[in-house]
Amino acid sequence: MGEAIVITSGKGGVGKTTTTANLGTALALQGKKVCLIDTDIGLRNLDVILGLENRIIYDLVDVLEGRCKVHQALVKDKRFEDMLYLLPAAQTTDKNAINPEQMKELVTELKKDYDFVIIDCPAGIEQGYKNAVAGADRAIVVTTPEISAVRDADRIIGLLELEENIEPPKLIINRIRQHLMKAGEALDINEITTHLSIDLLGIVADDESVISSSNRGEPVVMNPANPAAMGYRNIARRLLGESVPLMTMDKQNTGVFSKIKAIFAK
Amino acid sequence: MKNLVYIRGTKEGLVLQLDDQCAYTDMLNELKAKVSDPALDGSAEVQLHLGYRYCTEAQYKEIVATIQNNSHLRVSKMRSEVISVEESNKRIQERQSETYVGIVRSGQVVKAEGDLVVVGDINPNGRVVAGGNIYVLGRLKGIAHAGAYGNREAVIAASWLEATHLMIDDLIETMTDELSVLSEQPEMECAYIHSNGQNIVIDRLQELRYIRPQISTFKGGS
Repeated sequence: MGEAIVITSGKGGVGKTTTTANLGTALALQGKKVCLIDTDIGLRNLDVILGLENRIIYDLVDVLEGRCKVHQALVKDKRFEDMLYLLPAAQTTDKNAINPEQMKELVTELKKDYDFVIIDCPAGIEQGYKNAVAGADRAIVVTTPEISAVRDADRIIGLLELEENIEPPKLIINRIRQHLMKAGEALDINEITTHLSIDLLGIVADDESVISSSNRGEPVVMNPANPAAMGYRNIARRLLGESVPLMTMDKQNTGVFSKIKAIFAK
Repeated sequence: MKNLVYIRGTKEGLVLQLDDQCAYTDMLNELKAKVSDPALDGSAEVQLHLGYRYCTEAQYKEIVATIQNNSHLRVSKMRSEVISVEESNKRIQERQSETYVGIVRSGQVVKAEGDLVVVGDINPNGRVVAGGNIYVLGRLKGIAHAGAYGNREAVIAASWLEATHLMIDDLIETMTDELSVLSEQPEMECAYIHSNGQNIVIDRLQELRYIRPQISTFKGGS
């Protein structure tokens, strides 16, 4: 029996879908069988970021309304052998087409066959959100170092804490721009975590190649040298129970050489 | 026949003591006769002692009207030995202090009839409402409404008072820069209605015992 994780944020544009795609890919690379569910009905994106757009035949609403079997709607990502699947959202209807009970049933069904079921939640706190969290065992809240994103994260954490079947949510701080944080122009990591007072699961640097690789349909995590990819890979390892220290943003600039120098300086 | 209405002079002024065993109408008739006595021509303040008679709001108003329409007396105070169960429960609730442990997050509302103690932060757009005082062991960064049901003596105290809005009874204060400059240092502060009755003001928490001495119910000690 696997576990279901919902990725949510409240605010739009903070990187829920990117995080879903990258965490899913990172877990698949670690040898876990992963199923991604896009619940953003009417505004689906996850398929595009994964580069699977052309291969969708059936979607989430087709499955829930009984027009096809679950396995017919699942799109296999051929790059990762048999490890990564996507259940795409429908594009022609809206969020009211499904209800939380149906989602719960579907997720429970999928958990039997997959190690991880990762649910990409739409922005907002209405029907789409309710559908997305219905079947989840754990929740990850994504925010950015912006005051508006943090406020919305606070709201969503409050709602998640009311859900009895979900463990206390964990936090990912996405799109960190080190120079802004250092200059005190953006909220720093400490400020955000004390404000939201939930456990920090990981941080991800803001990197331009996240955008370019998303546009190519390749999750950035496939390039291990990329700083954002390192963040996602670390998060995936923490999800698997490893204890990985939080990467400090400075380390990327100084590199291995200065670390060796530091050792000799002792 | 027994006197149903006594008029006594005490050191606090004139007292009208009404019999609490007779029928209400008998008492009211005698009261009317007594206060209409031309001997009582001076205007004075009078206290009403109802004893163990339970009067509804309408009856109480009728008694006051009887006195004030037929004489120059003015009822300044009413004393009764009984209250209804409903009223009693309400008073107990108002005096009780409720405790909330956890963070009041954006969009959440925590309400209490009496005093409210929050152990944790109140985040922006979180709201706490209390009939009595609000005490926050943490950062108050949201909205606090004390004395929400008409208690102007209520105060809001917090370890860090950084609220966006403070409300006491029907007064509202938005925290402008001037006010928040005061909270630069993490200092315990309290907010209360200024004696002019117009503004909510903020002071160091240490001043609270002088501003609202009645809040301290602790007896004894040294």
